[in-house]
Amino acid sequence: MIERALLLVGSPKGPKSTSDALGGYLLARLAERGIETETLMITPLLASEEGTQRLCTAADWADLLVLAFPLYFDTLPAPVIRFMELFHAERAADGRVQARSNEQRLVAIVNCGFPEARHCDTALAITRRFAVESSIERAGGLALGGGGAIGGKRLEAAGGMARAARRSLDIAADALAAGKSVPDEALRLMAKPLMPAWLYSTVGNLGWWWQARRWRAHRMLRRRPFGD
Amino acid sequence: MRALILNGAAEGDAAVEFAGEVLSGELSGMGWDTEMVRLRELQLAPCAGDFWCWVRTPGMCFVDANARTLTEKVVRARLLVLLTRMTFGGYSSELKRGLDHLIGVMLPHFTKIGGEVRHEKRYERYPSLAALGVLRHLDQESERIFRTLVERNAINLHSPAHAVRFAYDLEGQDVLRECVHGLVAKAEVER
Repeated sequence: MIERALLLVGSPKGPKSTSDALGGYLLARLAERGIETETLMITPLLASEEGTQRLCTAADWADLLVLAFPLYFDTLPAPVIRFMELFHAERAADGRVQARSNEQRLVAIVNCGFPEARHCDTALAITRRFAVESSIERAGGLALGGGGAIGGKRLEAAGGMARAARRSLDIAADALAAGKSVPDEALRLMAKPLMPAWLYSTVGNLGWWWQARRWRAHRMLRRRPFGD
Repeated sequence: MRALILNGAAEGDAAVEFAGEVLSGELSGMGWDTEMVRLRELQLAPCAGDFWCWVRTPGMCFVDANARTLTEKVVRARLLVLLTRMTFGGYSSELKRGLDHLIGVMLPHFTKIGGEVRHEKRYERYPSLAALGVLRHLDQESERIFRTLVERNAINLHSPAHAVRFAYDLEGQDVLRECVHGLVAKAEVER
């Protein structure tokens, strides 16, 4: 059984991010099951020593860590890696790594901008290594493809497109609250494409043009500022 | 030909620094015009994830001048070498802070490569990618993850070739030199 869950949001977009939407949905389901919860944004806290300390203290306090982040360049964003380096060093310094005291559990939620969830596999493998090397019990890793389609919307407001993701997190919350790992069914549902890849790519390509238009940059989207 | 080493050593990591010195010296000796950027010495904020390098000032970071300079160096290099302390099978946070700023070298537009959706090329030519991971001791699982990561980065970066090698703490200069030659030879042979 778990009593305290901490959501660490690894997106620099913070509370407007898809990472926060996914992690926040899971945390709300855990709170409904009587678990005390807290949410922290990694990037702004790492900017100061005080914030970094707060991050590590909160991570110590929780018996379930929920690490939610976007995929950057096939792996975790730099601030998430920095947090893992610091937390690992802290656990090693006070002997918890050596004692193999798996008193904490970790669940990772990754979303990527490509439609296929399998792009997230390497990042999940890295979170698994972090857990193993830090003597934290890994409770599962969920991967969502096509995160751009959620675009930071609350999952409850994301309509039918996010139905499988919501169902996945409902199942995950049940299992985690009972002290179990995330079941395979939840992993499968989260990885289910939000829409066909061709549709995601087509809409996405138009979306880039549309966003650039806002900055009057739509005619130079393909420019090469540093030569050929 | 230009070689750019992105050195992701943390403050006080003598083994990675030593590997960087050997790497730099060997590449220069092989005729490469070599530059090493120590990322921890670079004032570089974490990528804000705003995609402005795609939609506001295409190809360049809107916010950070050092990120623009770094991107230009990568685009102009023929060989990009990533040097890092292996961190849970991946890159150190110092190295990753630099890499997170490189998405502008690709276009935002989607295309299919090897059956997966990826980003289109912005430039005609991209550097070959070589990565040297420094570990305390043999760790097959971490090495497997690292190889996969570099391979996927090479696809993302449209690199014509890529190579991965590992070095272990306390290894001497001869072993490292051999390691560097193997790394560069593989990256060149596959060009």
